[in-house]
Amino acid sequence: MNENAPATFQLPEQMSTLAPQVDWIYYFIFWLSVVMFVGIVSAMVFFAWKYRERPGHKAEPTGHNMTLEIGWTIAPVFVLVFMFHKGFEGYLNLSVAPANSMIVKVNAKQWAWEFVYPNGGSSDELHVPVHQPIKLVMDSADVIHSFYVPALRVKRDVVPGMFSMVWFEATHVGHDDIFCAEYCGGRSTGPGGTELPYAPSDDPLHPYIAGQATGHWSMHSMLYVESKEDFDKFLKSIGDPCDAYVNAGKDCPLKVAADQGAKLAQSKGCVACHTTTGARLVGPSWKGIFGKQESTDKGGVSVDEAYIKESILDPNAKIVTGYQGVMPTFRGQISDAELDEITAYIKSLKD
Amino acid sequence: MAAVDMPVAGGHAEDSHGDPHAPYLKAKSGIGSWLFTLDHKRIGLMYLAFVALAFLVGGVFALLVRLELFTRGRTIMDGETYNRFFTLHGAAMVFLFIIPSVPASLGNFFLPIMIGAKDVAFPRLNLLSFYVYLLGVAVLLFAIVSGAVDTGWTFYTPYSMQTGASVIAMTMGVFILGFSSILTGLNFLVTVHTMRAPGVTWTRLPLFVWGMYATALMQILATPVLAITLLLLSAERFFGVGIFDPKLGGDPVLFQHFFWFYSHPAVYIMIVPGMAVNSELIATFTRRSIFGYFAVAMSSLGLALLGFLVWGHHLFVAGMSEFATMMFSALTFLVAIPSGVKIFNWTATIYKGSVVLASPMLYAMAFIFLFTIGGLTGLFLGTLSTDVHLTDTYFVVAHFHYVMMGGTVIAFLGGLLYWWPKMTGKMHDEKKAKVGFWFTFIGFNVVFMPQFIMGSRGMPRRYYDYLPQFEIFHKVSTVGTWILAIGLFTTAYTLLEALFRGQTAPRNPWGSAGFEWMTDTPPCLANFHETPVITRGPYDYHLATPEELDTGWDKVKAQAQAKKD
Ligand code: HEC
Ligand SMILES: [Cu+2]
Ligand SMILES: [Cu+2]
Repeated sequence: MNENAPATFQLPEQMSTLAPQVDWIYYFIFWLSVVMFVGIVSAMVFFAWKYRERPGHKAEPTGHNMTLEIGWTIAPVFVLVFMFHKGFEGYLNLSVAPANSMIVKVNAKQWAWEFVYPNGGSSDELHVPVHQPIKLVMDSADVIHSFYVPALRVKRDVVPGMFSMVWFEATHVGHDDIFCAEYCGGRSTGPGGTELPYAPSDDPLHPYIAGQATGHWSMHSMLYVESKEDFDKFLKSIGDPCDAYVNAGKDCPLKVAADQGAKLAQSKGCVACHTTTGARLVGPSWKGIFGKQESTDKGGVSVDEAYIKESILDPNAKIVTGYQGVMPTFRGQISDAELDEITAYIKSLKD
Repeated sequence: MAAVDMPVAGGHAEDSHGDPHAPYLKAKSGIGSWLFTLDHKRIGLMYLAFVALAFLVGGVFALLVRLELFTRGRTIMDGETYNRFFTLHGAAMVFLFIIPSVPASLGNFFLPIMIGAKDVAFPRLNLLSFYVYLLGVAVLLFAIVSGAVDTGWTFYTPYSMQTGASVIAMTMGVFILGFSSILTGLNFLVTVHTMRAPGVTWTRLPLFVWGMYATALMQILATPVLAITLLLLSAERFFGVGIFDPKLGGDPVLFQHFFWFYSHPAVYIMIVPGMAVNSELIATFTRRSIFGYFAVAMSSLGLALLGFLVWGHHLFVAGMSEFATMMFSALTFLVAIPSGVKIFNWTATIYKGSVVLASPMLYAMAFIFLFTIGGLTGLFLGTLSTDVHLTDTYFVVAHFHYVMMGGTVIAFLGGLLYWWPKMTGKMHDEKKAKVGFWFTFIGFNVVFMPQFIMGSRGMPRRYYDYLPQFEIFHKVSTVGTWILAIGLFTTAYTLLEALFRGQTAPRNPWGSAGFEWMTDTPPCLANFHETPVITRGPYDYHLATPEELDTGWDKVKAQAQAKKD
């Protein structure tokens, strides 16, 4: 059942493990409908012709046929139960994400999508590795939207104030459109009531142009299913802006590294214990510490790159006076590059 | 003809409204004879005029919306205008046109006649319901136009609250309209229970009356939910109680539950009357009783009951528990049974009938054709896993147009042509009626067939613009609306031409055994000159006398010949 089919006249290409099951029941209902429709309409037309009004022909008074009447009331029940069962089965498969799913957070807002990956990086297009269950955890910043990818046969409303979930596993490399399927308004005028220009583009990957009139219809994005390697490359590219410099053999500018460090301080959870305002939490504030003399249980030290790195990888080596040694070690959870970036960030808080 | 001066508002049909034996259109004249009339037939006609106007307005917006979609990018209007136009199309068609269409116009006119009554049980309430309807039209249109509402006819929160669009005023308008239909429904129920002429037993009740009866039940039970919704919306807006707005801790999906708890039964308030008309058409033009009369009558009640239990099928991807989703899917499938029973019985009625392919019969057969498609495509949407793919796409748009327009509107048009001579006393030109029919039927399919395909291919609904792969389907669909428009205007012309220049119709131009044809054409003010005593069913062609079934065309022809000579 996992043989994936290309697009047919009625249905788009199948790109998910669930699509074949959905399409099977679709075509079952389709052919059942064709048989029923042709049967009813040809009987109707044939009877209308055969029993047409003409001299010498009279309508026969209507009789009763209990068997027939009960028959066509009961018989459909079996087919209906079968359809219901198949549909519900498919729906359950759609609702329960496998435990090993990779989680991508989806933020919907009028009229754009944002996808946030496990490494903290984000993009406005959805990239996923092939053969890997993906679980989307979705939230909306304003009104109801609906995440819809035809080739995946997946759709789910994104409701403000509530996390909704959808999962899929892509079966091959390729791409498809992401649509918003729940009506969410639109805007044709800019500030001051001036009419915004509007002309869609012929580029299938970017059909709508930024800065033009926008709305429900142009809340469009792309799904890219990629090989594991390509996906990792993608993650790197959104994960860390410093990589671009490093790959080019250059040093990462302090400003870029510090910005990335600020993000890491968020995503790694440092901000739970450290502020940048001077206020004291569980740990000392980072404001202005760089270059300062710090008194610790091992005596005075000056705060430099080495000390900061040591504090992160081996927090209990020196404990700042007035604080408890409760900071967990981040050894193994933080790369050398990330260490540099956080350090750059703390450095940037000097004044 | 007794000429009485200005009628006293609140007077009674027989006393102040003219001679009970004069044709109802001539029993009284002047504008006041319409504005203050208590005659169910005149009230029916006034409803008909406004309902037809609403159909025209909704139709013009449909043409504009489809024209915009003819090309990619901007064709004739910008995105915001488009959003307002499809909202107006939907709201006008659903609330101002289809819901009142058959019951308020044809129902008002024929229900009392079909049971041998002089009028409805509460004529003053009947007139009130008409004015309440007008008030509702005014409030709803004012809310939509002044608020530049662009929410779609479903006005889901929180979008409808965010845009400043007056969701409260709109709900108020819909509620007032619903209140008007409560009055009509109540009237129908009491009339059917208490005013049947001697011999009109429950098993001799015309199927049209059974359909109206089931519709009336739904109108009375479903509309109050709108009032509750209105109260909750107001509590949220004015007292900041969080009910639907997530910013206040409310749940926007709850609004959808409330909305569809009314609007799904409303779907059956729309389709059951269409089915009711269709049963009359098929019986008359096959000259025999509807096969399985009892099953057809009960299936209307079955639909009325099931209509209240399936609203959740609009929320399969909105965020309901798996259990609720499963129950709603199962219940939705049950709807297929009474719908199927009707289709099977109608087809079986044609078997061994004597089929007259007059224009109303063409509409009746088109109803079977189109409603079967509408019903079968409903199976794709009741099935959960396929619904996930198809919901909120053009597939759904096509599906409900096949049911609402292919069903109710087609039956309404068939019913109008069928009963036009009875209502106006004038016969239309059958040739023009048939030309109108074929344009309508073909045009309709050209509009909506491509929408199924683009929908299943993934084209979402309510889009101002679309990707290049959908262009061909949109083009064909738009061309279809022009064919459809030709058909509808031809039909409108046919009816108006008959009204102003038509040949005088004989008493029973179609040769029907139905009770409504047993009185004058057009009926006298009191419907019957003396209380009728019924001794057979409305479809008992084998029991009806030759005089009853006589069309009267021979006499008309002879008279015309005599005039010429
Ligand atoms: C559970 C709370 C907690 C978390 C989480 C935490 N720290 Fe700490 N941190 C402390 C405490 C308490 C101290 C002071 C005691 C010490 O030196 O071990 C400290 C000290 C430090 C110091 C030395 C400060 C100074 O003034 O000398 C640095 C640098 C530091 N942390 C960086 C980090 C970074 C980077 C992260 C995130 C990757 C982090 N911390 C996460 C609690 C925490
Ligand atoms: Cu959206
Ligand atoms: Cu429904």
